[in-house]
Amino acid sequence: MGNVLVWVIWILAALACVGSGIAVISFTNPFYSALALIGNLASLAVLFLLASAEFVAAAQILVYAGAVMVMFLFVIAYLGGRADAPFAGGPQWLQLGAFVSGAAIMIAVIVALITKASGGLSDSADIERSFGSPAEIGRLFLTDHLLAFEITSVVLLIAAIGGVVLATKTEAEDDDS
Amino acid sequence: MIVGSWVCLLAPLAGALLITLAGTHISRSTAAWISTGSVFVGFAGALVAFIQVAGESAEERSHLSTAYTWLGIGQFEVPMQILVDPVSLVMMMIITGVGGLIVWYSVGYMKGEDEERRYFAYMAFFVFSMLMLVMGGNLLLLLVGWGLVGLASYLLIGFYHDRPEAIAAAKKAFIMNAIGDAAMALGFFLLISKTGTLSYSENFEIASSGQLPTSTMNLIALGLLVGAIAKSAQLPLHTWLPDAMEGPTPVSALIHAATMVTAGVYLIVRTHEIFEAAPNVQHLAAIIGGVTIIVAGVIALVQWDIKRVIAYSTMSQIGYMFLAAGIGSYGYAMFHLFTHAFFKALLFLAAGVIIHHLAGEQDVRKMGGLKSVMPYTHAVFLIGALALAGIPPLSGFWSKDGIISAALADGGALGFTLVALGLVGALLTGAYTFRLYYLVFHGEPSDLVLEHAGGHGAGHAHGAESAAGHDEHGHGEGPFSMLIPVGVLAVFSTVAGFLVIPGLWEPFLHWIDSVAEPLVIATVAQDYMTSAIAVLLAGTGIWLARSAFREGEDLVPQGRLRTILEHKLYFDELYDALFSRPSQLAANLLREKVEEPIIQDSLGEIGDRVREAGSGTARLQTGLLRSYALAIAVSVVILVVVFMAVR
Amino acid sequence: MGPGTTWYIAVAAILFGIGTIGVILRRSPLIVLLSLEIMLNSSNLALVGFSRHFGTVDGQIFAICVMAVAAAEVVLGLGLIVAFTRRNMPLDVDAAMELRG
Repeated sequence: MGNVLVWVIWILAALACVGSGIAVISFTNPFYSALALIGNLASLAVLFLLASAEFVAAAQILVYAGAVMVMFLFVIAYLGGRADAPFAGGPQWLQLGAFVSGAAIMIAVIVALITKASGGLSDSADIERSFGSPAEIGRLFLTDHLLAFEITSVVLLIAAIGGVVLATKTEAEDDDS
Repeated sequence: MIVGSWVCLLAPLAGALLITLAGTHISRSTAAWISTGSVFVGFAGALVAFIQVAGESAEERSHLSTAYTWLGIGQFEVPMQILVDPVSLVMMMIITGVGGLIVWYSVGYMKGEDEERRYFAYMAFFVFSMLMLVMGGNLLLLLVGWGLVGLASYLLIGFYHDRPEAIAAAKKAFIMNAIGDAAMALGFFLLISKTGTLSYSENFEIASSGQLPTSTMNLIALGLLVGAIAKSAQLPLHTWLPDAMEGPTPVSALIHAATMVTAGVYLIVRTHEIFEAAPNVQHLAAIIGGVTIIVAGVIALVQWDIKRVIAYSTMSQIGYMFLAAGIGSYGYAMFHLFTHAFFKALLFLAAGVIIHHLAGEQDVRKMGGLKSVMPYTHAVFLIGALALAGIPPLSGFWSKDGIISAALADGGALGFTLVALGLVGALLTGAYTFRLYYLVFHGEPSDLVLEHAGGHGAGHAHGAESAAGHDEHGHGEGPFSMLIPVGVLAVFSTVAGFLVIPGLWEPFLHWIDSVAEPLVIATVAQDYMTSAIAVLLAGTGIWLARSAFREGEDLVPQGRLRTILEHKLYFDELYDALFSRPSQLAANLLREKVEEPIIQDSLGEIGDRVREAGSGTARLQTGLLRSYALAIAVSVVILVVVFMAVR
Repeated sequence: MGPGTTWYIAVAAILFGIGTIGVILRRSPLIVLLSLEIMLNSSNLALVGFSRHFGTVDGQIFAICVMAVAAAEVVLGLGLIVAFTRRNMPLDVDAAMELRG
């Protein structure tokens, strides 16, 4: 009974993921695309939960959907009408190539999964309750993966500085706007 | 003796290098004296070597001295060695002795010329190269000297490089010499490939022992003979010598009378074992010599340029030397070389004095009556002319008649033919020599002569350094530096012949015999008989010239014969049609058909294709961000597929 | 028990493909950025899936770092877009062909 529920939720969440992904790339109004992405992130969080990655799921909602997407929406709102993104042309071969390469990647990985990797991916490991808990993740961040932790914070710092630099008005622009 | 020989070889080289390196930092006269001095130092070295070798017995007289190993490739080694033996010593002394006198003479002759230093450097370099040729201790060094001498000749003939005739003459000389060089090199290659060694003695031993088949020896000897013919201006490779008179007169004296053109004779004497193993080729050499005597002699009868007459005379006399070497009378060949060096150089230098006095005029028709104006020159010229004609007791008599009598002693059809050629040659020699003499010195003084008769330097333009720079003038005929060497040569022309008095005293012949045994030796009776006939014929020739002059007629009357002779038997035209035109045609054809369409255009094609490929590849740079992203995506796909396939 | 690891990876692959199509197909830089986010998230999903399979938490650690970097990248991307509008350039990726400096 529990298994069926898990399956159902899983499939629903997966469909929502893929659907919202397609929605993101198909809307002409970027606002709608951003909203579709939020949906995508939420479905992904559900999938994370089902994979026992609770902290990652929470971080996904808080950081990604909460902060990053809001930032996106802010900018889209700031841009207003200028942000409209119609499906304007571009070379034919480019459009065709987009679909072909995307489909190729999907098919290639799935074929690889089915033919080669299905044996190795059949039994998952047993896990305890603390798998994916914040305590576990925090412990690893501060012991095994300390370097990654520190470097990531440096990257964030640099990004913040970069954002400020990009946003600074130069002399020449004072006359424009 | 070893030291003396090395000094002899290296002093002129040092002189040439010094003048070249010093460039314009030294004055012109310094360069001139360096050149002269270095050649005379060489002569001193040769003299020292000669005295020491003369004291040794006949068997010991061959010395090989090695300085260092010049080329070394594995087992193959070529040492830098010189060979000092009687033949090379004779040549060394002639080259440095007569050469030294001539370079001394040029100090006065070339004064005020545009590029004197270059001239003196070249002269010293020539002396060095000629010494290298005669002193080279193995076949390779002989070839080196041979080639260097050709180069020096080219440089000196084309010395007046502003004149197109001089440049053309230099090229002609070099090209004809190159034909000979190539043939000679091929001959040597064949020899070395069969014997495997470069050294003289080993090669000659193998050659004379009969190990190699006659056909091979014939080929080798033929190659050497062609080389000798080209260098010595014998038929048929003779056409460059008259043109070579474009060079300054001392150059003509040194290179084209005394030394370089005699290199062919030296070669035959040096490699005589090879020729003796190929008797047909040796006889061919004698025949070529004999024919050249006559042909050159008759052409000389109609020439109007004073230097060209003497040049044809040189050709003719070397024909005598080839004749002698061809029948195996090596001693007399060298002896005639020896005496010829003196009187021919004398004649050229005396002609040079005249030319210098008359401010560059060389046409005999404009001269005449110089006897009273230039008595000293007249005297020495007469001595030279008598020596050349073979009038006793001057030197030419002893050497030339020895050759004819050797031919007589040889006997057989060949021998008698050669005797006839030699005797007719004597007649011709007397005729053309004294025709020249009478035309230049006798008769009424021409206008040109009267113009210049007021003594040297009166109203002449002599380049930048005029009257102030001239040496003291002896007798108003020319500077002392010119007159003294001429006098010295006149003395030698007179007495040098006494080194071989048949039947009584023959030190020169014995000297050469230790290196090259003669194949024929004439009896004393044969000697004196041929001498008598030859002198008679020479006297007849002189008398013919005199009477023709007295009557104001030419020796060869106008008509077909004269025209042919004036065109030098049409050899130049023949070669032009046979070789020059076809090769020009072939070259043009190749240029049109091969070079331009295929080679040049293919280069252009390469450029065009590359450019096309470049612009084709440039189209990948669309500038569109998205296309780059597509490219990345495609490569990811490919990588995934590859990974899947591989694992 | 729920779906096995294979399913997670399959979904991640599909999402990645969708993201790729979006990046190459669309001309507005905003949509391109959003598609890039999809791609990054798909790789996060794959990481988490494998982490669940092997039972080690390292995959989730990696996923968190990826999230942080993605956030940083979005900051800069949006900054660029704003800079475009400041200079009155059309919001079109194809127009940015000759950028200088």
